[in-house]
Amino acid sequence: MLVFAASDKGGTGRSVTSANLAYQRALTGDHVAYVDFDFGSPTAAAVFDVPGAMRGIAERGLHSYLEGEVPEPARIDIWRQTEHPLLHARPNQSGRLALLPGDAGGGEFVTGEETLDRCVDLLLRLNGEFDLTIVDLSAGRSYAVDMVLAATAHPRMRYVPFRWLVFHRWTRQHVIAAAGLVHKEHGIIRGGVDRGHDEEALRGAIRFVRAAVPDPDSPLWAQGSPAQAAWMQACDDALRRLAAEHRIGDSVVLGAVPLEPVLQWREQLITEEDVLSTQIANKETLEALEEIARRLTDDSCWGRP
Amino acid sequence: MGPAKTAPRVVLACGEVRTSLLPALQALDSRAAAQLLGLRADERVLLSERPNLYGRSPDTLTGVDCPLPSANGARVRVVGTVAARAALTEGRLLQASAYFMVPATGPDHRRPWGHYLVRPGVVEPLGKLPHEAVAEGVLNGGRHGDLDVGLIADGLHTRLLRHPLLDHRPPLRSRPTRLRWVALPAEPGAGPSIERFTLAEDELRTVRLRVPEGTPGEGLAGLCDDLALHDWLLTTVVRILDGIRLGAGAGAAGAPPARQRPRQRPGAGEELPAVVRALRPAVDHLLHLWMPRARVTQELAPLWDALEERPGFTRQWQTLVQRIRDQLTLHAIPSPHRETDMGP
Repeated sequence: MLVFAASDKGGTGRSVTSANLAYQRALTGDHVAYVDFDFGSPTAAAVFDVPGAMRGIAERGLHSYLEGEVPEPARIDIWRQTEHPLLHARPNQSGRLALLPGDAGGGEFVTGEETLDRCVDLLLRLNGEFDLTIVDLSAGRSYAVDMVLAATAHPRMRYVPFRWLVFHRWTRQHVIAAAGLVHKEHGIIRGGVDRGHDEEALRGAIRFVRAAVPDPDSPLWAQGSPAQAAWMQACDDALRRLAAEHRIGDSVVLGAVPLEPVLQWREQLITEEDVLSTQIANKETLEALEEIARRLTDDSCWGRP
Repeated sequence: MGPAKTAPRVVLACGEVRTSLLPALQALDSRAAAQLLGLRADERVLLSERPNLYGRSPDTLTGVDCPLPSANGARVRVVGTVAARAALTEGRLLQASAYFMVPATGPDHRRPWGHYLVRPGVVEPLGKLPHEAVAEGVLNGGRHGDLDVGLIADGLHTRLLRHPLLDHRPPLRSRPTRLRWVALPAEPGAGPSIERFTLAEDELRTVRLRVPEGTPGEGLAGLCDDLALHDWLLTTVVRILDGIRLGAGAGAAGAPPARQRPRQRPGAGEELPAVVRALRPAVDHLLHLWMPRARVTQELAPLWDALEERPGFTRQWQTLVQRIRDQLTLHAIPSPHRETDMGP
């Protein structure tokens, strides 16, 4: 299964959330690859806490691979190379967790038949090796988005299942932007159809993840005045209506991640330790991530019986 | 007739093999295998059905003119051709393999290409070859720009994977492996021997051989293909067995799994137990592939005996096969009876 992580804007927590999803799936025993197609600003190495990777990816990152400079992109075994003290001891019974980093000095680039073929080679290879491959895409209707739309429409990929996650924050601007990224004239669906995708099938393979959602019922806001609580509730309702109008309502939402300081500031993986021992992260956040990770492959969440 | 009057003796042979599961739902029959492996219009694919179904492509040649890697930093430029070929075993295991041989000495300057083309799979040094240092350099992996035989194997592997015959629906998840090998001359009168067989990184294996003078490179490549194939089988089946969780969720003794959550929710009801689902592809696609020495020349076959002695390839394989059969037998028993003794 391939999962593409997209967002219209930066700062949606796309990278950090999808990295957490990869981590959660690996904990359940799946072999997971995390592919950093965020060519403009590859950040995954930081999220997984593999600072040593920065030098290694100076020449063998995904950018160099796609341009044909190296035959195979570098891979980092996260359990082995992370400096995160808790991750370093690979949890018992966990699956492999591999990071394919981007190049340090990347940036967007133009596509060609050769690049596309190499992209297809890579995705097929990863699909043959890993239970789940999460591909983090640059924000917006980027080159990376176009490339994977073309790759997944390629005849060689016809039997490879894929799904899309579109991340957005829970604000007016972000809701509208996320809907635009998917449904508008120059959106993902249109772009996919132009490249040979079936419109219905592609639409059915896209779900949304709401990030940094303040939960009015959370103890975090319990100290607020009744007026504040009522106002928050009203805003939340208004946003739900707005989302529904823009065709990104609850029925196509895979999950929501609560507003979480650890995700916002530290931009790292949330471990059980963060919740249970040091208690710097909220239990609800971890549970939300676990649940979204589970739903990635739960067909009933994707409109399939 | 042979191209050279007095060819200097070959003192080094090197190669690298990529081994992977063919990414197709069904194994290829011999006709489809011939299509996949037909790399050259002018030469036929070698097909054989005894003792197992096997196809091998004709050799393709890649012209090279570059330095060899070396452990002591010596820059030895070589010119010639690297041979590469692909093989498919039982329509299931795909191997791409590249190799070359190097004589002890060569001319001081580059000859016209015709000279090299009549020596397929041979690269000639300009001057003298420090073969021990080069062998070590090859095994350790060279610098950027050095002759990289793995790159040639990789290119062939990628080319084969793009073949339209393949539907890219592999029946199980598995990792390709790389086996890099060098062969140096044995002491006069001594037989062939394996000096070293190491599992370097996760998927890289290195092999260092000593062989009598005059051992053909093609035979060496055949031996190393055979080693790589069986090493891949062991690696893959071990990983499949590692991946199954015995008594998952039953609170078995010992360290708990990282997450207690069951891997699959019980679905429509007719699903197989997770263990059976994980082991089934091994039974369907892998267990019948074990056949050491099937394509190894007679003079190199004794090398397998050493591996059977230590670490004992076939011994390990039989244990794995037995474990798989035991698990499947156990799961043929209705689960209430099977789970009774799970507690501490």
